[in-house]
Amino acid sequence: MAIAPPVDIAAREDLLTGCQAVAEGVRLANVDVIAAYPIRPYTEVMDNLSKMIADGTLDAEYIVADSEHSQFEIVKHASAVGARAFAGSSGTGWLYGYEALVVTATDRLPVLYLVGNRALDDPGAFGVEHNDALSLRDMGWLLCWATTAQEALEHVLIGYRVAEDLRVRMPMALALDGAFLTHSQHIVQVPAAEAVRRFLPTYDPGEHRLHPDNPISVAPQVNEDWVMEIRRQNWEAARRAKVVIAEAYQEFAEVFGPRYETPYFTETMTKDADAILIGLGTVAMPAVESVRRLRAEGKRVGYINLRWFRPFPTEELRLALGHAKAVGVIDRDFAHGAPDGGGVLFHDVRSCLYPIGDGPLAIDFIAGLGGRDISIDETTAMFEKTLAVGTGAPTREFVTWVGVRESEKEVRP
Amino acid sequence: MIKRVEINYRGVFQKTLGRKIGGDLVLIARRLDKVGFSNGRYSDAPERNGLPSKYFTFISSTMTEAELEAECGGKLDIDAADVTVVLDDTLLAGVEPWAWHGIRPVNEKTQAGGALIVVSRHAPDDLVPRLERKPYTYHLAVLAGETSLSGMWVFRDDLTHERVLGAIAAVDPSIVTIEAVEQHLLTRADGTARAAAARAAYDEVTTGTTTVQPTDGRVWPFEAPSLPSWQGFREAATVVAVPRQGRNVTFPRGTSKTERPVVRFDLCTKCTLCWLDCPDGAFDPVAGGHYDVDYAYCSGCGKCAEVCPVKDCIVMVDELRFDDTVSPWAAYQRDAPAYLAWAEEKTSVRPPERPHVSGRMAPVTTSSRS
Repeated sequence: MAIAPPVDIAAREDLLTGCQAVAEGVRLANVDVIAAYPIRPYTEVMDNLSKMIADGTLDAEYIVADSEHSQFEIVKHASAVGARAFAGSSGTGWLYGYEALVVTATDRLPVLYLVGNRALDDPGAFGVEHNDALSLRDMGWLLCWATTAQEALEHVLIGYRVAEDLRVRMPMALALDGAFLTHSQHIVQVPAAEAVRRFLPTYDPGEHRLHPDNPISVAPQVNEDWVMEIRRQNWEAARRAKVVIAEAYQEFAEVFGPRYETPYFTETMTKDADAILIGLGTVAMPAVESVRRLRAEGKRVGYINLRWFRPFPTEELRLALGHAKAVGVIDRDFAHGAPDGGGVLFHDVRSCLYPIGDGPLAIDFIAGLGGRDISIDETTAMFEKTLAVGTGAPTREFVTWVGVRESEKEVRP
Repeated sequence: MIKRVEINYRGVFQKTLGRKIGGDLVLIARRLDKVGFSNGRYSDAPERNGLPSKYFTFISSTMTEAELEAECGGKLDIDAADVTVVLDDTLLAGVEPWAWHGIRPVNEKTQAGGALIVVSRHAPDDLVPRLERKPYTYHLAVLAGETSLSGMWVFRDDLTHERVLGAIAAVDPSIVTIEAVEQHLLTRADGTARAAAARAAYDEVTTGTTTVQPTDGRVWPFEAPSLPSWQGFREAATVVAVPRQGRNVTFPRGTSKTERPVVRFDLCTKCTLCWLDCPDGAFDPVAGGHYDVDYAYCSGCGKCAEVCPVKDCIVMVDELRFDDTVSPWAAYQRDAPAYLAWAEEKTSVRPPERPHVSGRMAPVTTSSRS
C-alpha cells in the first residue's frame, strides 16, 4: 500500500556511487517509510534519500532514529502495517540493532536493507569486511551481494519483489562492499519508473496486515508447544524463496532485457575449469582479471561471483563446481575457531560439496579484511595454489591468509 | 591504455570540489567514448577537517569497464599518476593522511612526463623547491588563484572546478579534450561562463607550464613509517598511549594547516588564553610566562589569533611562507630583533578575507581579522 502515487521518473544514464544507486532503486520502488541512522559507509544512501524527499521526487516518511536498534524497529512496524520500508547500516551499527533484525525475520516482514559492509569493532575500522551481513546467516533472511552499482540498483527492485511475495515474506539484506562499491562513482543506467511498475507490484501484506479492521496479534509469547512448528514454517519459506527468485529474475528479464544469466551467481570460464575460485563482492574484479591472464597461459581456471548467500544455491553450485579438481573459496570474513579455521563462505561451500562422491577439494583464502585491498597478483596466486592442490597430493592445510604482514613492512616501499 | 588522475584536497573543506572534478572527468571522458570511474582514497574515510585526502579518476579508451576496475579499483591508493591536481598549495608542505602513512610529498605518485597542477597565488619558482626531487622530468602548471574552501554541505561555486578541468585538458588532452570539457560545462546552469573559465585556464596553462628537472625540488626529509608483522605488536587491540603532558610523536598532524600563527612575544601580555584555548595543545609554557608554539602539532585552526586580546600579537600567515617547524620562542631568545623583523616580514602578507557564516541566519560578512 503506497502512501502516495509514485513520481514519474524517466530512464537516464548517470554517474552514481553504489549508495546512490541503492537510493535510486529505493525511489523507483516507491518506498513508503525510511528509517535512518548514520554510520559510514551506508550513510550516503540516507543523504541521497533525504534530498530526494526534500526535492519532491520521492514521497516517503523519513525518520531519523536514535540508534540502529530503534531504526530497525521502526521499519519493522511500518512493514507490519503495510508500508514498503527501507533501512540500512554498516558494521558495528548493523549489530547494534541485531535483536530487531532477528525478530523482523521471525515476524516475516519483507523490509529491505542496505548493508554497507564494514569491519566489526573493535578495533574500529571503516573498511570492507563481510561479517556484518554474514551475521544473519542462520536467521531466515534473504542475503545478497551486489558487485556493481548497476547490480545494486537492480537488486533493490528484485529484492522487494522476492521479499514481499506471499510465499516468501522474508526481510532482505543487500550487501555492498564498503568504500570500494558504496563510494566509487560509475556510469549506471537508471530505468524508468514506468518500467519498474511493470515489474514490481505494490506491497500488500494481505491477512498479515496489522490494522484494526484485521484483528491479529503478531508474535505473542509462546511456549514449547509452538516454537518448533513456527521454525519449521520459516525454514520452508527459505526453501520456497528459491522458486520465487527464479520467477523474479525471469520477470525482470521480460521487462528490462536479459541482465543475469542465472540468479545466484555469475560464472567466468568455469565450464572446463580444473580450479574454480568463488567469492562475494568486488573481489570478483581482480579475480576475473586473473582468470583472463591465466587462461591466456593455457591454465584451466574459472571464477564464480556469488550473488545470493541466503538462500544458498546448493544444487546450482554443486552443478557448477562438481567437475573441478579443486575449489578455492575467498573469504572476506573471519570465523575464529571454526572447523579447520576456515571462513564463513568456506564452510557453506565445503558443506555443499560434501555429498558429491569424489568431488573437488575445497580450500580457503582469508583476504581483504578491514578494507585491505586484494590485488590481481594475489588472486592469481590463489588460482595457482588451487590448481596445485587440485593436481597434487591432498592437503590438510585448508586455510591460507593472504596479504597479512608476516614481517615488518614499510608503508610506502 | 589507462590514464590516472589524482586530486589532492583538504579533507571536508574541499570534498565536494574534489568529487565533482573526479566525477566530471568520467562524464566528459564518456562523451569521448571512453570508460572511466572515480573513487576516493579509501584510507581517507572518514575525512577530518583539513587533513589531506585524495580522489582518483581512471579513464581508458581501450579497456572494458570491468578490466579498468580490476586494474585500478578496490585499491587503497593510486599506483602512479599521469596528472596530479593539488587544490590547496599548502599541501606542498607535506601530506599526512588520516590513516597516517607518514608525511609524504604531494608529488609522490607523479610519474615521469606527468603533470602537477597546483592552484596557488605563488609563482612556480616558490613552489618547486617544496616538491620532492624526482629522478626524471615532469611538468608543473600553476593555476593562479586562491584556494577554494567550502564546507561539507555547501559548495563554493567559484569556477575552480571548471578551471581545473580546463587545466587537465591542457596538460594531457588524451584524458579529456578542452572541446569535450566545454561541451559538458555548457549543459550546466551558467554554462557559458563555466565553459569560458575552463577555456581561459586551458589557455593559461598551455602558455605557461614549467618543466621540473631532476635537480629541482628537495630531498624529502621525512621517512615513511613501517608497520609490524602480525606477531610484532601487542594483542587485544591495545597500544601504548601518549604520556601525560606529552605529544603524539607518531602523528604530529601539523600538515593539516593552511595557515600558521606568528607570535609577537614583545607585545604579549601573558594572558594565557592562546595556551588555554588551543584545541591541539600546541602551546608550551616557557620561563617568564610566555608560550612557545610547536608548529609540528599546530593544525592552523586560528583559535589563538582569535582569542588573543592584543592587536597584531598573533597573526595567521599562509603556511607556504614557512619551510620549517623551528621553535619561535627559541629564535626570539637567540636574537629578538632578528625574530621581530622576521615576524614583520611574514605578517606583511595577510591571508584573504574569508566570508563569515555564523549559522544563525545573520547576513554573511567578511571575517573580522585584527
